Amino acid sequence: MAARSTWTRGRDTLGALTLTVPAAAVYVVLMVVPVGFAIYYSFTSYNGIPSQAPEWIGWDNYLRIITDPIDEMRPAVWVTAAVALIGAFLVNAAALGLALLLQRTNRFNTFARAVMFYPHVLSALIVGFLWQAILGPQGAVNNILAGAGQSTLPFLSDPTWALATMIGVIVWGQFGVQLVLYLAGLQAVSAELQEAARIDGANRVQVFRHVTWPALAPTVTVTIVTSILSLLKVYDVVLGLTNGGPGDATQTWAYEILAVSFANNKVGLACAQAVLLILVAGLLSFTIIALRRRAETGAEAVS
Amino acid sequence: MRGASRIPARLRVAFVAILSVAMLVPMYIMVVNAFKPQQEILRTPLGLNPDTASTDFLAAAWSNTAFPVVEGYAVTLFLVLACNLVAIGTAVPAAYVIARTPKPFFQFLLLFFLAGMFIPPQIILVPAILVLKGLGLMGTIPGLVLFMSATMVPFTLFIFTGYIRMLPRSLDEAAAIDGAGRQRVLWTIVFPLMKPIVATAFILNALSAWNDFVSPQLILGPGSQFKTITTGVYAAVSSYSTNYEVVFPTLLLAVVPILAIFIVMQRYIMSGLATGAVKG
Repeated sequence: MAARSTWTRGRDTLGALTLTVPAAAVYVVLMVVPVGFAIYYSFTSYNGIPSQAPEWIGWDNYLRIITDPIDEMRPAVWVTAAVALIGAFLVNAAALGLALLLQRTNRFNTFARAVMFYPHVLSALIVGFLWQAILGPQGAVNNILAGAGQSTLPFLSDPTWALATMIGVIVWGQFGVQLVLYLAGLQAVSAELQEAARIDGANRVQVFRHVTWPALAPTVTVTIVTSILSLLKVYDVVLGLTNGGPGDATQTWAYEILAVSFANNKVGLACAQAVLLILVAGLLSFTIIALRRRAETGAEAVS
Repeated sequence: MRGASRIPARLRVAFVAILSVAMLVPMYIMVVNAFKPQQEILRTPLGLNPDTASTDFLAAAWSNTAFPVVEGYAVTLFLVLACNLVAIGTAVPAAYVIARTPKPFFQFLLLFFLAGMFIPPQIILVPAILVLKGLGLMGTIPGLVLFMSATMVPFTLFIFTGYIRMLPRSLDEAAAIDGAGRQRVLWTIVFPLMKPIVATAFILNALSAWNDFVSPQLILGPGSQFKTITTGVYAAVSSYSTNYEVVFPTLLLAVVPILAIFIVMQRYIMSGLATGAVKG
């Protein structure tokens, strides 16, 4: 009888609870409490200096961000939106396209997969510095162009070029992750169904459209959410590649928070910006997951 | 049919080969230019003349006081191990009881932890610094380890919970009937079965700890006596970013260890990423 009343029957919840305490302690103290503080400070005027108490100012920080009277914060919103949306599209297109090409396991494909993935093991800061040395005004590419008698290209010195270059560098560094996820997803697609469709006379495009793509639906959800979450917080690449410039052409929202607001002791404002970014990240993720639910139920029917 | 698909196959190999070479060009530029003086880097960025190639620039980068290389490796490696120890060590027991207790409260607890995956660590750093100041841990290695571990806990716990749910419950019950306590069942029965997922978590957490720049830079402070690889590179490169005979050798020294590890472990790293993101 003693064995029946063991904890596996869920008798002593308290005992079970103690096992969650270490994880909860670390997580609560350094993630949840900071979020709480961020929310509190976002309603205050606070410069982070301990001797000066935060002063409650209500929604002023948020109003300042939304109305943005001197147009100091809106550029960062557009830059971040462009990085997240264009970046996520390019990352996913490149990753899915290459996953279809590298699907079969052989030596050449294994090598190519590793080559596509390697930028991800480099620190984003180092990726930024490396590309800055290649594409900067004095960089390798422009020296080659100048040496060949061509005019140089303003990769990092013209605002529009710089943003496009930065998105390109981010995509170069990131799509390997999504590629690996798509490769894993493709393994789960039923080979019999694809074969059956082929026997029924479907061509490659039709097999992809009607069998492979619907079966990939759960993977697509994961890749879109993970890529957008990581693109929304881009900071290190900016620092290494452009330092936000020229002007504010490549300042992302994360850069604005850390290198502009926080660096200028505007802790209250930085916290309001952080809260908004977390809200956007959470809302976007849940929206995507909700929108994808229908596609995913379709996937269950296929596989 | 065969003949028709053979030409696209060749095309595909050619396309992938060209793309692979293109992906590797930045690495090539970094490696060859690490052995050249500034003049030559500017004149012939792609070439390497064996007669003038010199390791002087690597040696100069190696002894640059702004980026103490060996110490940078050591501090970063320590961070990787310490953060994994804290994150995995705390996530295993928590994931175990969450996975094995089918009560609504524990489901809520799981969601509570999962919410952390939507919080970008760099963004929460500002208020976290104020918390660390309050705890007296600001500017210290333990403070940095705790913050970085905290950011790893949600994902680690998430994949562990999913994995433990797949392990047969009968194992735990048999051990419990034989009189084993909860801790004993966890560490002697369940934990050894979790090896694959622990390896996955270790690899992913190690990559993010190794590459983290913002947390060490802001928590330790730019003037800290401890430099990680990334903060060291920043200190050595940011103000000399057009002095390429400093930039390229420094970047090369910074990436060599992680690239070597990647080349040896690439299969496990990539399959780990795939299981980690899809599980649960």
